[in-house]
Amino acid sequence: MITNYHRPQTLDEALALLSQPNTVPLGGGTLLSHASPDPVSVVDLQALGLNYLRPKGNTLEIGATVTLQQLLESEYCPPALKTAIKLEAPLNLRNTATVAGTLVTCDGRSTFACAMLALDAKLSVVSDQLSVIGIGEFLPLRPRGLITQIVIPLNVHFAFEYVARTPSDKPIVCAALTQWNSGRTRLALGGWGKSPSLAMDGDLPPSPSGRGNEGEGLTAAARNACHEAADEFASAEYRMDVAAILAKRCLAGIPINP
Amino acid sequence: MHLTLHINGIDHELEVPAHTTLLAALRGLGFHGVKFGDEHGLTGADTLLLDGKPVNAGSLLAAQAEGHKIATIEALGEHPEQGWKQTGGLHPLQKAFVESGAIQCGYCTPAQILAAKALLDKNPNPSEAEVREAIAGVLCRCTGYLKPVQAVMKAAAELRGEVSSDQLSVGSGQLPVQTDTPPGEKLIADDWSLTATKIAPKVILAPQTEQWQTVGKPEVKVDAVKLVQGKPAFAADLEKRGLLHAKVLRSPHAHARIKRIDASKARALEGVAAVLTWQDIPRVVYSTAGQSDPIPGPLDTFSLDNKVRFVGDRVAFVAAETPEIAEQALSLIEVEYEVLPAILDSREALDNPVKIHDEPEYVNFADSNPEKNLAAHIRIDIGDVEKGFAEADEIFEAEYEVPKVQQAHIEPHVCVTYWDEDDRLVIRTSTQVPFHVRRQLAPVLGLPIKRIRVIKPRIGGGFGGKQEVLMEDVAAHLTIATGRPVMYEYTREEEFTAARSRHPMRIKMKTGVKRDGTITANAMYALSDTGAYGCHALTVTGNTGHKAMALYVGDGEYRKSPNIRFYADVVYTNTPPAGAYRGYGVPQGFWPLERHMEKIARAMGFDPIEFRLKNAIRPGEYHPFSTAWNEGREPRPEIIHTVGLEQCVAQGKAAIGWDEKFGNEAWHNPSKVESRKSGGATLDLRPSTRRGIGVAFVMQGTAIPYLDMGGASIKMNDDGSFNLLVGATDLGTGSDTVLAQMAAEVLGVPLEDILVYSSDTDFTPFDKGAYASSTTYISGTAVVKAAQICAERIKLRAAKMLNTQVDRYTGTQVKAEEIRLADRKAYAPDGRSVTLAEIALDTLHHNNQEQIMGVASYVSPSSPPPFAAQFAEVTVDTETGQVTVDKLVMAVDSGVIVNPLTASGQIEGGMTQALGYAVCEEMTWDERGLIRQRDFDRYHIFRADEMPELQTIFVETFEPSHPFGVKAVAEIPMDGVAPAVGNAVLDAVGVNVDDNPITPEKVWRAIKGK
Repeated sequence: MITNYHRPQTLDEALALLSQPNTVPLGGGTLLSHASPDPVSVVDLQALGLNYLRPKGNTLEIGATVTLQQLLESEYCPPALKTAIKLEAPLNLRNTATVAGTLVTCDGRSTFACAMLALDAKLSVVSDQLSVIGIGEFLPLRPRGLITQIVIPLNVHFAFEYVARTPSDKPIVCAALTQWNSGRTRLALGGWGKSPSLAMDGDLPPSPSGRGNEGEGLTAAARNACHEAADEFASAEYRMDVAAILAKRCLAGIPINP
Repeated sequence: MHLTLHINGIDHELEVPAHTTLLAALRGLGFHGVKFGDEHGLTGADTLLLDGKPVNAGSLLAAQAEGHKIATIEALGEHPEQGWKQTGGLHPLQKAFVESGAIQCGYCTPAQILAAKALLDKNPNPSEAEVREAIAGVLCRCTGYLKPVQAVMKAAAELRGEVSSDQLSVGSGQLPVQTDTPPGEKLIADDWSLTATKIAPKVILAPQTEQWQTVGKPEVKVDAVKLVQGKPAFAADLEKRGLLHAKVLRSPHAHARIKRIDASKARALEGVAAVLTWQDIPRVVYSTAGQSDPIPGPLDTFSLDNKVRFVGDRVAFVAAETPEIAEQALSLIEVEYEVLPAILDSREALDNPVKIHDEPEYVNFADSNPEKNLAAHIRIDIGDVEKGFAEADEIFEAEYEVPKVQQAHIEPHVCVTYWDEDDRLVIRTSTQVPFHVRRQLAPVLGLPIKRIRVIKPRIGGGFGGKQEVLMEDVAAHLTIATGRPVMYEYTREEEFTAARSRHPMRIKMKTGVKRDGTITANAMYALSDTGAYGCHALTVTGNTGHKAMALYVGDGEYRKSPNIRFYADVVYTNTPPAGAYRGYGVPQGFWPLERHMEKIARAMGFDPIEFRLKNAIRPGEYHPFSTAWNEGREPRPEIIHTVGLEQCVAQGKAAIGWDEKFGNEAWHNPSKVESRKSGGATLDLRPSTRRGIGVAFVMQGTAIPYLDMGGASIKMNDDGSFNLLVGATDLGTGSDTVLAQMAAEVLGVPLEDILVYSSDTDFTPFDKGAYASSTTYISGTAVVKAAQICAERIKLRAAKMLNTQVDRYTGTQVKAEEIRLADRKAYAPDGRSVTLAEIALDTLHHNNQEQIMGVASYVSPSSPPPFAAQFAEVTVDTETGQVTVDKLVMAVDSGVIVNPLTASGQIEGGMTQALGYAVCEEMTWDERGLIRQRDFDRYHIFRADEMPELQTIFVETFEPSHPFGVKAVAEIPMDGVAPAVGNAVLDAVGVNVDDNPITPEKVWRAIKGK
């Protein structure tokens, strides 16, 4: 149960409050009802000025308290990322759910987290000191600390595909794929488990079937990532097959020579 | 903590604990337009505008909102007539919602309007897709979103100055009629609309309807204006001083005996007023099924017991000063369980050594047998089924399965109980069955019926889930224990784990067919899972056969003497109990029946529609089951007089383009990527996609013959208006409106002169409640009869008054039976008239004073079935198995349609619920018996932004057993969507999915042959 509410005006003030026991940051607050029955103090981040979206070089800096809807409406948000954000939550929740809060509380069905994983988002986390960690490291561990900023690349090609029971339902399987101009390709899969899964990150291996079939390595990676992906929504067997199809579709949606 | 909230332009100071949500703070301040729907913001019933953006009040702390501008529905607009005070009237959005029929239960309406307002403030000229996206955060279980979307589009047009509010009016009874339609066919359409969204249905009118003034017209709902303002009309909106909040400790085990329970620590907690365990209250066995006496099912339930039978079963009740304290108290109750083996699979229930009901108080009904874990047992044979099979050229057998699903009304179960000044217990509850609540709870509470008063305020949807005496006893026991008012409101998790649901069933079909397509015999066996308690066990499953298996009687000689068998075993398991859910067993029957018929037609090379029509029941034939079964009561043969199936098929085929699509390979297999519309969004069709089209025929019932009774009373007021009091319960369906329309028609007044009140066991006549698609037919006939009694007295008075004038001027005498009531006047044949207001003053104040009043009731000897042809169009991704439903068309014979707006809203909303049954809704449980889907994230119901196109067509027949020729509308849309979608998937990709919902993996497996 929430016993104390704080709304600090500066980051330092927030960090001092958060150093107190049983004190947690409060983003949009959309997961309040999941709070434990134990007494807890919350530190509302809304006055810290962390709701900025600013391009910097080939990246986009996203303040921690930017809402999902703010990002969706941003001119820098690629269309495929908009799709992933829309699937994360309906409009009302997107208006309050923050990008950082969504990542902190996400499970494997989070389309936004899956997209961020594919984009290799970098998180600025303040604990004893400021550190920048990749989302791939963050998601499995969820280290304590205050996320202040998320950075995603802008000079990339990004694709997102999904299968769900209905058009707006949370996906049973989703695939997010980012390809850099260097050829680096990063595939994340979601729809089950505690976090989205990173299926591959690197150059697409040449295909024994010849040029134009480099996706074979990608689909193999997608299948491999789903071996234990069974839950009440689908079997691992299904997800293996469909993840490979979605990965291929993502790749097909990206120009051959980015 | 101290807060200042800026609400609707005014600062409000309040002192609240830090954990207080914005929802709790606002409701505490009297802003009741913000509703509770769930704890996660997924229903959006708690929508308000924060700095102009729609957000969920239940998902924010009140403290977070400090410093922001909060807008609620209360600030938007108000009733245009407030006596001498002039008001600005309703906001154009509110007006459009009222006039478009966009409101059904009205629980989510304020939220939808606020979400729409945020959109229009930003984008005055939105596309339909943008409107759908804007309101997608607000779940509506009633409407199918079509009319709310249209309302927003209308309001946007008016706000842009393109349409005047006069043009928006549909309440005048004037319908824009399309002139190029054939005679007898009127297309009720708003052809002025600038949008592509159609809200009103096509109605093929019965000729008898043409003379009527109010019946058959798209009148505005009588409760719309209050609901659109978010007035405190619902059960939870009552403010009582000293109110306690109830919570229930629930079992973590599927089957266990309570060895020890110690509530002392909970009782000692400050703020706790009472804790009740099974040791504290009388042990009275009863059934929670809200049905007429005697309950047609076993008595197997206690308010609290020393045994728990499913995860979520009751263990203890707590009443405390706040919900949070009550919750904390639950964690302090110490319980020691003896865990027992559990039965979680219905196939293992019969004759299992584990006995779920071993209590000595158990009372059997009919063939129930707790020794065998059998809640009900049905064996119905019509004709000679084995002979029929022997005469068949081919026999088709297959097995099917239907899942457990949730009613998912947005307003949860909620009630408030208190002692009144006469020491009578008042139960204000969100129920479909107020009179059953009173009768059934009296022995449980140790009170005579006369010391209980049940008030049913507005209901935020029920769909059968509130045809249950589910939780009123909790609050009532706690009020008895404490002497204080108690509110008990289900959490959304409780709705999924501890309310009722649709019975899951495993069904076997066996059908004999001759080479010419004649069905010679048809048999169904259903293994039905009632869960831990037998509420509605017999009657729901009985209807699975009674309605579905009655549709196809065969042809030729078989038509005269059909061979039909329906057997069922309804078993107990240690899972949450099933109960009534809109359709009442019939959707479970039509999934296997209509999937089976499709397979037979295709296997034998028949056109699926012609094959069905050849064997379907026709007018003048006996309802085959009426000779054999009547919900556990004496069967009485019944002839079906009206069957509009053939015209439904013709209309439905035309609407969906059946002849152009069915069998057209080019249409099924789009050769190139093209765009299509789905829920307003443009999607790409991949080369791997295939289209399909499917059909299902369905029938339902209209009330339970010789049992369902409804009463009505009507009294005339000084101004010629009338109070109509009915025990019937409008749970959002619009029944108050259609009942008032029938009264208005008889009394010759506009609808606004009928003031409807429902229902209160102290004031309104008895009505069995809202179920079995009975209100318009049963309660409607009672209303007509009561109105006719009033009309008769009015005519006598009018004749007398006119004859007094006559004596003076002309000498012509008028007979009462020659008087015609219309336009608020009583007309003599010669055109002279006296107003109803004059008559009212004369009767109440001037001469031979009397109260003109009519009281009547009605019970029907028949249950005329509505019929429908349901069509679905789908796109299937052959690589992933994903099914997208693109269009649903339903052509319905529901007799005469009293109000096309409310009736089409019923069809659209029903189709949408049924669409969930088709593709996504399902409750499953883990190895412990814990339901996995406990919120609207995992239990997905359709949102506004993902809907297929919906089209409703009414094919009117005139049912001779009703004064206005009506049959039922409410439940039939639940029956045919899933099989039509299943048949469309078969049409698209040539594979069968025999268990719904049709999920991507099931289709994928079928395609892969796995």
